[in-house]
Amino acid sequence: MNLVDSLRYHWNVNILGPSILRFSIWLREQTARRGWKSGNLAPPLKVSWRNKDLVTRHWLRGHYANQRSKVAWVTSGAPVELLKALDYYIVYPENHAAICGTARVAVDIMSEAEEAGYSQDICSYARTDFGTLFSGMTPVGKLPRPDLLLACTNICQTVLFWYRVLARHFNIPLIVIDTPFVYQSEASEHAVQFVLRQLEEAIPVAERVAGKSLEERRLEEVGRLSKLATELWLEIIERNQHRPAPISVIDQFIQMAPIVEMRGDAATVDFYAAMLKEVDERIAKGIGAVKGERKRLLWDNLPIWYRLRYIAEFLGEHGIAIVASTYTNAWGELAPFYKVERGLESFALACTYVILNRGTGHKLKTMQRMIEEYRLDGVILHSDRSCKPYSIGQMDQRDRLIREHEKPALLLEADHNDFRCFAEEQVANRLAAFVEMLER
Amino acid sequence: MTTENIFSIPRRSQVARQFKQHGGLVAAVLPIHYPRALLRAFNILPMEVWGPPQVDVSYGAAHVQPYVCSIVRNALSFILTGGLDVADLIMIPHACDSLQGLGSILLDFLPPKQPAIPIYVPRNDRKEGEIFFAEELQLLYARLEEITQKSPSDEVLVESIRREEIADELLTRLHKQRGSLQLTDYDFYLNIRAREYLPAEDFIELAQSILVGPFDGQQDGIPIILSGIVPEPMGLLKTISQFGGRVAADDLACCGRRLYPPGSNQDPFLRMAESILGVSPDWCRGSPIQDRLDHLQRMIDSTGAQGAIFYNVKFCEPELFDLPDLRRGLGEIGIPTTTIEIDISDPISSQAMTRIEAFFEMIQ
Repeated sequence: MNLVDSLRYHWNVNILGPSILRFSIWLREQTARRGWKSGNLAPPLKVSWRNKDLVTRHWLRGHYANQRSKVAWVTSGAPVELLKALDYYIVYPENHAAICGTARVAVDIMSEAEEAGYSQDICSYARTDFGTLFSGMTPVGKLPRPDLLLACTNICQTVLFWYRVLARHFNIPLIVIDTPFVYQSEASEHAVQFVLRQLEEAIPVAERVAGKSLEERRLEEVGRLSKLATELWLEIIERNQHRPAPISVIDQFIQMAPIVEMRGDAATVDFYAAMLKEVDERIAKGIGAVKGERKRLLWDNLPIWYRLRYIAEFLGEHGIAIVASTYTNAWGELAPFYKVERGLESFALACTYVILNRGTGHKLKTMQRMIEEYRLDGVILHSDRSCKPYSIGQMDQRDRLIREHEKPALLLEADHNDFRCFAEEQVANRLAAFVEMLER
Repeated sequence: MTTENIFSIPRRSQVARQFKQHGGLVAAVLPIHYPRALLRAFNILPMEVWGPPQVDVSYGAAHVQPYVCSIVRNALSFILTGGLDVADLIMIPHACDSLQGLGSILLDFLPPKQPAIPIYVPRNDRKEGEIFFAEELQLLYARLEEITQKSPSDEVLVESIRREEIADELLTRLHKQRGSLQLTDYDFYLNIRAREYLPAEDFIELAQSILVGPFDGQQDGIPIILSGIVPEPMGLLKTISQFGGRVAADDLACCGRRLYPPGSNQDPFLRMAESILGVSPDWCRGSPIQDRLDHLQRMIDSTGAQGAIFYNVKFCEPELFDLPDLRRGLGEIGIPTTTIEIDISDPISSQAMTRIEAFFEMIQ
């Protein structure tokens, strides 16, 4: 990058962009808070603006990323710390797709992929990102071109198939970290060693593309920051064991962006420390995410990004709060596995023990534990057409929750990003019937 | 010759019964890759379950969502209705998210009468993948020891590996010589799919009897490549013949993608791992799409195929991800393609038949 470009970058990314951004966020926050219309839901957390600031600046840097550093596209369960320590600019295509879903532009974008031959039966996140590749359409302005791809199979096999398409499209190296599925309660020793060997093999590839060597101290520092952020996130979501719950799971879905895409950054740690403080203030003042909270629910599976507000409002009207989620919990429960002194082995363990890499029985146990700890009254299981590994097993999980825990449990058919799979009236009817059941 | 061969192929249930009468055990094995030789060393006959097509699907549908493929749903239905009661164990190799889910449901919620054993096939055919898989096979060995109370020696294991390697080599020859075998596509697949359940020694006999001829030059019909998971319902093959086509080679998960090369390692576990991970490129080992495309192009070059039919099981996500690139890649070298999507429980639809007819008309 020459001097002029460098100055332009600093002016846009560090001075002009953030100033405009902060002013516009401040303006929106003031308007939103003054004009907060929901009689049932608490206003957004004050710290939300910092989340928007972090995320927007991340994407703003993305505009210039190809000129400033190497870029890696990674899956959400991948050991991103290795790449962070090599100063890659990181893009999470899943997060990008979720942003498209929340902004309700995902279907327009994924139609481009469908026109290119990608079936509606493949993951809607993948279709959204393929749509962006083929059309350039994106609400974040521009996705930087990747120099390296990193896919870890611990969240699904789909990412492997998805990233193979990306590798061919961009003609760049793809690192696959394959994490053998944990059917029983413990992963076998040879499976963990297999993951470890792959991590060791990945480093020279990532170094070659980055053009620099991985420094152990830097990796330790990134790992330490990851661990701190993960622990803070876990603390925040566990605060919902209080009645009333200070933040809803719908809030968590929005506030989880940094823990997914900025793990390993100091700013992420600062953000979640501030968030925890505000959550504690809410608890001290007795503020609940849902006013007059009467019933508390668990959410299983990914969010329905394009209907977050609708679901929150619908349930909020009845004094029902979604206070716990296996999905948001997944980003916190791995905190104990991050042991900086154990180096790569701790990353191998953290990769292996992701909830989606474990059996259907383990997920049921997680739900049962959360029902007890959060004193929940029922469960909504989002049967997500686009996420088979999360959804297969839900029919039996629901039956066990009803039979063994005597908790009402609703299987809600939808898709995390494709609103064409969301039958508005049917969902409303099923939610209404579920609410009635909860009231009994 | 062909009729005699076809009618001499015993049914699965008959093979299972006979094998058990002789003191053996039977393992029902789900798709795709698994160590036949290891099972046989324990005198366990693997019997593959690709669906099957004709079952009451409602049993499986009560446990898996409608967007899960019919192979998984039907297999679950089959298990729940006692279709696999003849089996002494059920093996579930990891191939995709849906088979992973099925294995997990069987272990956690719907335990069958028999032990259900998952194995993980790595998405990595490099050295570390081979080492992991060999260790996974050693773990399986220990599990089979518990079940059978037997501990086959290395010699027994090596003998079993050699026998399977001969069967695999003959299967590969059948595939290569299919154009001159004078078997209709339907009969060819009836014969080669016997590898899914016949003991290797019986399959060797069957294959040898076919390979002695007579050969009568090249078969008629427009040669095409068939790609997908499984040629079910097998009426598909008759439909292809009916419209003037013939399958010159296949890239089917149950057939052409499992032509295992012999291993070379002295260690029996590494040798099995080497062989299984050494097959032609497929998604379930994470092979690059370009490798799959190159493989298809080689098949086309060697057979003179004039088109390709992608015959997909509805909701098979791994196949669907590769499809656009494969079709585009073949299109660029002038090979027309079409896709047919099926539920293995349904007969070939008239829409699919029309599409196949139109495809051959277009090629002609």
